[in-house]
Amino acid sequence: MSRSLKKGPYVAPSLQKKVTRSIESGSKQVIRTWSRRSMITPEFVGMTFHVHNGKLFVPVFVTENMVGHRFGEFSPTRKFTGHVGGKRIRTT
Amino acid sequence: MARISGIDLPRNKQIGIALTYIRGLGRTSAAKICETAGIAPDTKTDVLADGEVVRLREIIEREYKVEGDLRRETTQNIKMLMDIGCYRGLRHRRGLPVRGQRTHTNARTRKGPAKTVAGRKSATTKK
Repeated sequence: MSRSLKKGPYVAPSLQKKVTRSIESGSKQVIRTWSRRSMITPEFVGMTFHVHNGKLFVPVFVTENMVGHRFGEFSPTRKFTGHVGGKRIRTT
Repeated sequence: MARISGIDLPRNKQIGIALTYIRGLGRTSAAKICETAGIAPDTKTDVLADGEVVRLREIIEREYKVEGDLRRETTQNIKMLMDIGCYRGLRHRRGLPVRGQRTHTNARTRKGPAKTVAGRKSATTKK
């Protein structure tokens, strides 16, 4: 058992608070968060989050497979629009 | 002729080595398999009795994921990463290194042979 497992998953307290509130009220309100380092726990499944990427909020709909990953993984911070003179590959 | 998980084992190698010709088995797991089967890992494959081969086959089938199954699992995992749209999945999609390596130079294993960019002066001397 690795040390990080012993310590348990990390969810920012601010985010956790928002999530519990949203579950209690049953509202489908999108949760905005800057906490890219928070781990996605099973209770987040089915919710939509707006995860900040340094510039804007990227909508992330949480599915079962995403559990155990972190929010930042789903909100890319870099945008590659291709090289000068190269073939134009559009990316978002 | 010993045939395990669809692979012909090399005849004149020690079984501890011969098992590593199966995808998914390395030296460590091969040694463990030999131990559970009660076969000395330095026996040559040719010398193995049929019963011993059967025992090896059973252990591998029961406890290890090898060859096709293993390959399938790996591609499935990669596909899952791509489907959930996480960073690692994006890197797989674009054929770039997944684990944070530099791409300014190198990364040729993932990117394939270098493509020369037209119009760039003395690209070879630059770096």
